[in-house]
Amino acid sequence: MTFAHGLISVDDHIQEPPNLWTDRLSKKQFGDRIPRLEQDSDGTEHWVVDGQRLLSGDASAAGALMPNRNQEPQQWAEIPAAAYLPTERLKAMDTEGVDYSVLYPTVAGLAGEAFGRLEDPELELACVRAYNDWLLEEWAAASDRFVPQCIVPIWPVEATIAEMQRAVGNGHRGIVFPALPMHLRDVPHVSGPEYDPVWSACAELGVPVSLHAGASPQLQYPAFPGLSPALIGAVDAVTKPVSSVFVLSLLSFSRVLLRHPNLRLVMAESALSWGMLYMEWADHQFEHDGLAREGYDLKPSEMFQRQCYFTSWFDNVAPFVGHVGEDHILWSTNFPLATSTWPRTQETVERCFRGVTPETREKILWKNAASLYGI
Amino acid sequence: MEIRHGLISADSHCGFDRDAFTSRMQASKWGERIPQVIEVEHESKKVHRWAVYEKPRGDNVGNCPVLMGDPFPTYPQRWEEVSNKGYDPHERLKALDTDGIDAEVLFPNPPGGTFYEFNDADFELDVVRAYNDSLAAWTTVSDRYMPVTIIPYLSDPLIIRGEIERVTAAGHRGINLQGQAPAPLPHLTDPYWDPIWDVCQALGVPVHFHGSAGVRAGMSTRFWSGYSERQGHSAMTSTSAVTPAQIIPQLIFSGITERFPALKFVFAEAGIGGLNYILAACDHEWEVRRLWTEGISKRPSETVRRQMFTNFWFETEGIKLRHEIGIDNLMWESDFPHVASFYPRSWESVEHVLEDIPTEDRRKLLYENAIKVYGIDASPRQVEREEARA
Repeated sequence: MTFAHGLISVDDHIQEPPNLWTDRLSKKQFGDRIPRLEQDSDGTEHWVVDGQRLLSGDASAAGALMPNRNQEPQQWAEIPAAAYLPTERLKAMDTEGVDYSVLYPTVAGLAGEAFGRLEDPELELACVRAYNDWLLEEWAAASDRFVPQCIVPIWPVEATIAEMQRAVGNGHRGIVFPALPMHLRDVPHVSGPEYDPVWSACAELGVPVSLHAGASPQLQYPAFPGLSPALIGAVDAVTKPVSSVFVLSLLSFSRVLLRHPNLRLVMAESALSWGMLYMEWADHQFEHDGLAREGYDLKPSEMFQRQCYFTSWFDNVAPFVGHVGEDHILWSTNFPLATSTWPRTQETVERCFRGVTPETREKILWKNAASLYGI
Repeated sequence: MEIRHGLISADSHCGFDRDAFTSRMQASKWGERIPQVIEVEHESKKVHRWAVYEKPRGDNVGNCPVLMGDPFPTYPQRWEEVSNKGYDPHERLKALDTDGIDAEVLFPNPPGGTFYEFNDADFELDVVRAYNDSLAAWTTVSDRYMPVTIIPYLSDPLIIRGEIERVTAAGHRGINLQGQAPAPLPHLTDPYWDPIWDVCQALGVPVHFHGSAGVRAGMSTRFWSGYSERQGHSAMTSTSAVTPAQIIPQLIFSGITERFPALKFVFAEAGIGGLNYILAACDHEWEVRRLWTEGISKRPSETVRRQMFTNFWFETEGIKLRHEIGIDNLMWESDFPHVASFYPRSWESVEHVLEDIPTEDRRKLLYENAIKVYGIDASPRQVEREEARA
């Protein structure tokens, strides 16, 4: 491991190429249900799978690289190469001072949720496997500065477990799990016993599970549709990380964290205020509702301190070091989403880490991530 | 209003006597649909429930656990168990003095503050008027009560405007809105609702949003078949502090705060860290997306400090951020008589949370900010506790 810059970004997104799934899935078996880039009569392109449009009809989510950040690419030709070419991405990382980058999908869902909506579990599994294989072959093999994470089919759990075991066995270093699969299609509630084998398997594999904000639109308050795309984008970006609080509340009060003490959860794109806020509010309610009498061995804040990580990219770190805990905070650039710190990552880091000791800063910027992802 | 204790609760919950609606609504027109306490069978016991439009509501007949005399939270099942310290404005003054509170802003309690779900605009308007009249009557008992108005969503916005004007003149101190406009009405920030923002700005009364109230986004995570009642309640209220982060970006980026720059917004039962997030996140998006080119002329954090206020009561970590957020934008609340309240020991909690905080900050947080937000005529001001501290 070599460190030129001292920053591991734990939340960046890659752009899948148009031939990813068409090259790897059986045309005979799946026909035109295979994920692909489809052209409209006006020349714009959008992703479709099994008749569903992805990415709200945009060709990518790469606003930070666009001349106008509020205008997402409308066809493949408009997508900047740093979104989809590993060699170009490495250059962008050097420009921004990023040593390692933990990778999340784009077309497969910014939170790995897109294929969970498919009604056909065979198609879901085929799409997921193709992504996982491709990411290792094209990105992880290109440089060890890319930290690959697999996506998973959400049901049946036997398929979920088999795929995460296969993917991690092949080199994936984290599992991107759409936090509330029951929001995607009709599968059992994530807090129930049906999903316990999945959490057990994650814990046994010893890699973190990433619950990225935005997996469930149901957790977000939609903007007024009469606004401009830029303003809708801003409302969406601010309301998205809020979902981490709902997810964390559900997984702690339903005892998933208690039943699986070795499970490690990364709340990707969560922001730091929510860690502090959640712990104070959940402990207060826990106490006032008298839940110590209802069989919890740990308070919500103790579950958090044992098992969870919050990530940020724009907010001030100093106020949260004490309460969220310097061992439970990770940093990211969110490249190349419109909300990304690109191209001012270093400047943003300087602002956000004002008043933070060098030791704590190192932990948050790379040491915590290095030990979590085995870098 | 006399400020004697030096503590104003910017979020408490009122109560209604069982004849509050039957005595104010026309029996010949609405009959059994009028909100009233009825007897129903529950787990083979005869219990009381508030019924609205002939439908029983909730799993108790009052939300007042801190008045039940049991530290483990319980909720009244019979009307006789409901303490009149919740719903009788004369008796309630004693509770305020027990807890050392000068005044309180009154939010709903059973039978609730929403009457739109029956899709009957006439009924909603009449019951809303009865609700608002009932609380206006409290202000004639004492100026220590500051009710917030509920609105008849299904009526034309100009009728809503008229109701706000009517009850503000009768002593109401602000309006209370659902976080998302009830479906299928237009989005909260659709210009359809402009008459409401306009009248509140003109009257100088703040618009309130209460934690979780009416925000459908995220609601589903609070219900799981594996929860006991108390666990479900904890899971729900642990997340209510995200409400301002769901609503404030809508108000700012829709341009409402540009068009109504003097309108005040209050977030009750909302917490401190949420506001900290909003300042950082909205400023970040405003900068990276260059939103001044989209008509949002001011940096969002400036708008928040100018127009937004949020309540706190127990956050010992959050309160350390008071200057980052804005010391003028935070107000203490008690949440009386709900389970999260420290009644009758609110002052113990105040001293714990505000330990080591300078007097000047304490005054702002405990009552001065509320005096400004609600335009309270606060004289004489003789705070015994402060004199004792000095």
